[in-house]
Order: sequence, then structure tokens, then C-alpha cells
Amino acid sequence: MAMRDDQEGDVGPEEVLDGLDPEFLDGHSVEELSDYLDSGRSPRNPDIENSPGCLIALDALGRLRSATWAMLEAEAAEDRGRDDKWIKNVMDNISREARAGRDIPITSVDPEVRLTVTEGSVRGLIRAAGDGVGGAIVGRVRLDGDVTVPGEPISIDVTASGVFGRNLLELAREMRAVIGASLREHTELNVTSIDVTIQDVHTQRTASTEVPR
Amino acid sequence: MDARSPLSDASDGILASRAADGDPAAFEALMRRYGPMLRAYAVKVLGSNDEADDVVQESFINAWNHVAELADVTVVRSWLMRLVSNKAIERLRRRKYHRDIADWDAPGPARNTPERQVEASMQMRALSDALGRLPAEQRECWVLKEVGGLAYADIAEELDLPVSTVRGLLSRARRALLKDMEEWR
Repeated sequence: MAMRDDQEGDVGPEEVLDGLDPEFLDGHSVEELSDYLDSGRSPRNPDIENSPGCLIALDALGRLRSATWAMLEAEAAEDRGRDDKWIKNVMDNISREARAGRDIPITSVDPEVRLTVTEGSVRGLIRAAGDGVGGAIVGRVRLDGDVTVPGEPISIDVTASGVFGRNLLELAREMRAVIGASLREHTELNVTSIDVTIQDVHTQRTASTEVPR
Repeated sequence: MDARSPLSDASDGILASRAADGDPAAFEALMRRYGPMLRAYAVKVLGSNDEADDVVQESFINAWNHVAELADVTVVRSWLMRLVSNKAIERLRRRKYHRDIADWDAPGPARNTPERQVEASMQMRALSDALGRLPAEQRECWVLKEVGGLAYADIAEELDLPVSTVRGLLSRARRALLKDMEEWR
């Protein structure tokens, strides 16, 4: 104990980090400090926060953590130049039918022939129409009502992102108009309402978010 | 899809919602956004580039199948990390099984190709090398905990190790890395 008292006040990073000995950490273990860091140093532990040794170790643990993420980001950035083969592999192996949704009947000239389009394809139609409005990116699309019965009232609910700087009210209005026109042209749905909720604002980047800052 | 598709401007939440609705283009945009980072993570856990590719691809196929069940579409990144962690752990378990029955040699730490190393800063490389020098189990535990955000108990359960062993492995990994890091300064 007397020895520790002698060293208090002039404990340096080398001593603390060389052995990470609880002796220099005022009785705390590195593991405990790592858990404390994980918790965002909250609730505040004055015993740790007032220990010079602990603060040195916490600082080092924090630097190790940021260095780790920086390393992964750097390696990810180098990796972006790689070919797209892996993306194609995945795209070839996913099932698009899984999201087809309900079957929506359409009138056939031959009463013996039953024609349908999938809910998924109507969602695709809505996305294409909405995305066509400058500055808009469609998000989720819902068709509320029984689309499997001809003539049933259907309400359309769409979330979207608007580009920064655009009048969002006007954007939503334009989207509603083009979506309505597209549905009238390509489907027989009895659309009673179209709600567009702008839930996000995005910026137009020259490159994607993938490029690290 | 071009890397500069307008979709690349969209938030994770918008892309995940569209993917849940069945839009392959939005899913592809998510793959471009997070694939490289997830691969770098998998390489660190597994210490192997080839297996990391498989793990990331399998994880994305899994993601497509389950994205509609994702309750909060704004946490896509951590959800994807978790999917990759799970797939990587499957590999580690299989490897461990082989190691037990045949004293199988685990692949050595992944080495970056020379052209990749040019871009990486000295410190990143030093950390990467330090990680590569750790015994496999220490590296696996440390990366799963620090990057994957897994809890001690989860790592212990997934790797069939006592929690005390996981704590010990993590503690040794941490000491070794902290010590190495001090030498870069």
C-alpha cells in the first residue's frame, strides 16, 4: 500500500499500459474498464474517473476501439474497387417470387380466362411512378383493402424521401398525381385515396454514402 | 444497377422498406453500401478471405429472406452485422469440430494483397498485423465482441466455451493489442 502511495501522481502511460496491472488501476481491472467504456461511462463511476491510471487505460481502450473501426473502414474502402461478381451471385440466389403478395384480378376479354397481376408488381409500378418525380425516392408501399375483389375500395399508402431543398408538400402532391395516373392507366383498382408521407430528407450526393469521409 | 443509382442517396430505412416490399434494386443498394464493411469484419473474425466472401453472400441471402420481418428498418446496419456474426460463428463451430477430430490447422491470418497495403495507413496495418498475430480464439472473441457487439454470454454460448474462458481470451487479446498499440505511438 505504501508503495502504491509513492507512485500515485506520477504514474505514466508506459507503466499503466505495460502490465495493465490492477496496482496502477487503483484496484480496477482492464475488463471492468472495458465494460465501463461499453456502457458509455454511464452511470458515472467517480472512483474510476478520479483515478489517473484508469483514465490512461480508458483512453487507450477508446483509441483501440476507434482504430479498429477506422481499420475496417479503410479495408472496406479498398475493397470497393473489387468486381461486382459477389453482388451478382447474391442477386441470382434470391427469390423474387417470395414478395409477390396477393393476386389482383384484371378483366379478361375471354370470360373463361382468369387474369391477375401480383400485388408486388403493382408496388413496383407505384415505386417507378413515384421515383420518376424529381427529388423523390419511394420507400414502403401499402395497398389497403381487399385487392382480390374487383371494384373494392383501395387506399394506397406510400412513404418517401424528399431531396433536401425541395418543397416537400409540393413533392408529395406531385407524387400523388403521378401514382394515381399510373394506377388508372395500368390497373383496374378502385383507388379511393393515395397518402404520401415524406418520412426522410436525403441529400443528392455525387457518390454514394459508401465513400468514406 | 449503377453504383451511382439515385437509390444510393436513400437512407437505410427507405432501402430496407423497399427491399421488404420486394425491390431488388434497393436491396442491391444496401449490398453496395454495407457489403465491403461486412466483408472486412468477416475477414477479421475468420482470418480468411474466401470464407468471408461466402459468409457475406450467405448473410445477404438471409437478409433478403427476412428483411420484411425487421421491426425497425433504421437499424439495418447492426442487423446485418448480427447476421454476418451468426454466419461467421457457424463457420467457426464447424472449424472447431474439425480441429477437435483431426487436429486440423486453422488457416493463417488473412494477409492483405500488396496493392491494398499501399492505401492503408501504417497504424491500420499495424493493428491489422497485431490482430493477425493473436491466437485464433483470442482474435475471434475479440472481434465478435468489439466489432460485432456480441455479449460475453453470447460468444460463450455460440462457441461452446465457458464464460470464464471467453473473459480470459478477451482479456489476453485486449492486453496484447493495447501493448502493441502503445508501441505505434
